[in-house]
Amino acid sequence: MRTAPWLLLAVCGLLASCAGKVKPETLPKTRVADLHYGDVLFQNFIGEDFEALTRLEAYQHWSLMPHHAAESQLLTGGMYLQLGMHNEAARRFESVLDSNVPAGIRNRAWFYLGKVWYARGYDDRAVDALSKINGALPSEMEPEKVQLLSNALMHLERYDDAARVLRDWRGDDAWTAYARFNLGVAMLRSNRIAEGAQLLDAVGQMRAADDELLALRDRANLALGYAWLQNQQPAQARSALERVRLDGAQSNRALLGLGWADVELNDYEAALTPWLTLHDRNLLDAAVQEAHLAVPYAFAKLGANDQAAQYYEQALTSFDQETARIDESIARIRQGSLLKNLLGDPQDEAPQRGWFWQLEELPDSPESRYLYPIFAGNDFQEGLKNYRDLGYLSSTLERWDENMIVYNDMIDARERAYAERTPRTDALLGSEAVSKLERRRKRLEDDFNAAVTSDDIAAFGTAEQRDQWRRIEKIESAIAANPNDPALAEAKDKLRLVRGALLWDLKQAQNERVYAKRRELKELDRALQEANSRWLRVQQARAIAPTTTGNFAQRIATLQQRLTALRASLAQAATDQQQLLSDIAINELQAQKQRIADYEVQARFALASIYDHAGEPSR
Amino acid sequence: MKSSMRAFCLGVALHVLGLAAASGVAAEADTRALDEQIQSIKQDVVALNRDLFVLEEELLFPANTQVAVFLSMDVGEFFALDTVELRLDDKQVSKYLYTPREAEALLKGGVQRLYLGNLRTGEHELVALFTGKGPNGQDYSRGAQLKFEKAVSAKYLELRISDQQRKAQPEFQIKDWE
Repeated sequence: MRTAPWLLLAVCGLLASCAGKVKPETLPKTRVADLHYGDVLFQNFIGEDFEALTRLEAYQHWSLMPHHAAESQLLTGGMYLQLGMHNEAARRFESVLDSNVPAGIRNRAWFYLGKVWYARGYDDRAVDALSKINGALPSEMEPEKVQLLSNALMHLERYDDAARVLRDWRGDDAWTAYARFNLGVAMLRSNRIAEGAQLLDAVGQMRAADDELLALRDRANLALGYAWLQNQQPAQARSALERVRLDGAQSNRALLGLGWADVELNDYEAALTPWLTLHDRNLLDAAVQEAHLAVPYAFAKLGANDQAAQYYEQALTSFDQETARIDESIARIRQGSLLKNLLGDPQDEAPQRGWFWQLEELPDSPESRYLYPIFAGNDFQEGLKNYRDLGYLSSTLERWDENMIVYNDMIDARERAYAERTPRTDALLGSEAVSKLERRRKRLEDDFNAAVTSDDIAAFGTAEQRDQWRRIEKIESAIAANPNDPALAEAKDKLRLVRGALLWDLKQAQNERVYAKRRELKELDRALQEANSRWLRVQQARAIAPTTTGNFAQRIATLQQRLTALRASLAQAATDQQQLLSDIAINELQAQKQRIADYEVQARFALASIYDHAGEPSR
Repeated sequence: MKSSMRAFCLGVALHVLGLAAASGVAAEADTRALDEQIQSIKQDVVALNRDLFVLEEELLFPANTQVAVFLSMDVGEFFALDTVELRLDDKQVSKYLYTPREAEALLKGGVQRLYLGNLRTGEHELVALFTGKGPNGQDYSRGAQLKFEKAVSAKYLELRISDQQRKAQPEFQIKDWE
């Protein structure tokens, strides 16, 4: 539950998810042996951490990543870490270490485990895990490892070990400067003033080109200045504080300290120079508030009681106004404005979530300046991230809730379809319809072949011609039964003529009709083949298709219950988190209000004292 | 007065040195307890989300009809991806426009699951049309085609964009993962 100034830099060490500033062609290429593992990486690389984690868990459930078992465990742990779920992350990393994995993966698991323990405040375990890394880590992780290890050692007050780790390490300038600063501060905390001062002095006098290092240089000089002040070495304090930039974030505190260094040197007039500069700055800053007391104090010391009284009066008015403003801020926070101002509205549309999200810009609200120290604090940042995550997770579950309704409808529709179609399909498959058609087709072919073989010329005629042919044959039979009947002689001649004409017509069309019949038979074959193939597909589909929706309905019902319960838990946790963050902010504001009240008491006391002395008869 | 001023100096110094506690011990304990509780809820949400995802895919894309098309890129020196259009059995099923972030994710080794759908068993044809910038930054479009057999198990196909160094040209292939 702590953060470090190098955290943003360190983010890039985890899973290469912040590699946007790096040219893709220079990025290390991941060789994917399972498509689904590649899909998880893709989701992770585009910043969809939660989706990546969901897919990873689901693909593991289906055993779709057999070639990346250890790596996927490592990746899962890393993503849990990104989502601020340290306990689960540690469990995953430990599971990797329990298996027989290559040294590279083992080292990375120790690294992440060390990171988890450090984040949770288990410094001894962090040191233990990080010390087990055997050999070099990927280059982007190495600086972070050194930072984690040295910081954990510092928290354990093993300063010599921390110094050794940092001394042996050759990193880039920024990392080294941060490391020296941290170590210097830690040395001061343990009263190893000379060693701490040496480290901070080196950082305070380093050459810095970018804003980040210039700011760090200011912080080192400020820390060093105040350390010397506490040790009653005002001249050294002065030279360190003078190195702080006048337009930097530490300028107010440096000006205040400079004045105090002058006071320690008994030069009250000199002290007025930085304090009067500070006096005209924004009263929201604690150092400026202090200057409102320090200036009249110096005037009083110089015997300028009128000016001192005037400045004390002015301070009292300013403090009253400031107190009223703090009260207004407290009231606004109680009405729930804090998180809305910090996160915007709605929270769930924010593009990034997770442990590494940082509040980068303070909202433009009056309370922002009062609350700057707690906004920068780790507990507040963690709480804020949790609150954002809860909002996002809640919106995710809301979408699932809507989907569940659709899926329930789908299950109902499928149930109805099964009830309607299954009996129809079974009846069709039981009817042997295609076999019957094939038998009919066989009979047709037999008839056709018989007609061709027997030269049954009428068989290929039209229905009318076949009827005419039958009638001629009938009449011919009747004539044949009475061959000597003279009355039939004329009819016999006519019949011969009609038969000849019909035969002519039939012969003329026969070839074309036989060809047409053959073609029809072939077309019938093709249609039957298609029917047969469809029949087989229906048979196959019927064999593998479910006849019920299985346990989907039950699964959906169970999941809906879990959804409802979890959405309630999320809402309650978000409320609790919001309340806790508001309480932290209000406590801070009340502490500031109390400090101003204390200043007010001091100002009134000093003013009364001046008036008292002014009222005394001169001796 | 001087001593109280010095006390304030110390307060400022503590802030400077990063040692000042913004909240008290009690607040820290509350924060930790709530953080533990939230971690546990988050874990439940991850588990539930996984179960919902599994249910959704099993319900909408059962293994016996499932077909998934993935896209991977190797190197990318000769081709900068802009869009991919997928046609299954001559029917457009997907058209995807890539953001720089997505293209970068592909170059880093990510593999995108571009399409997930259902197909009946039997023979099918996949056609993929790629557009983007080719060698020398020229507009470039190419296609790849694959006939494949869909059996009763899930079918995975991979569209691969790689560099053909010898010809200094990009190469587009479709791989059938048996």
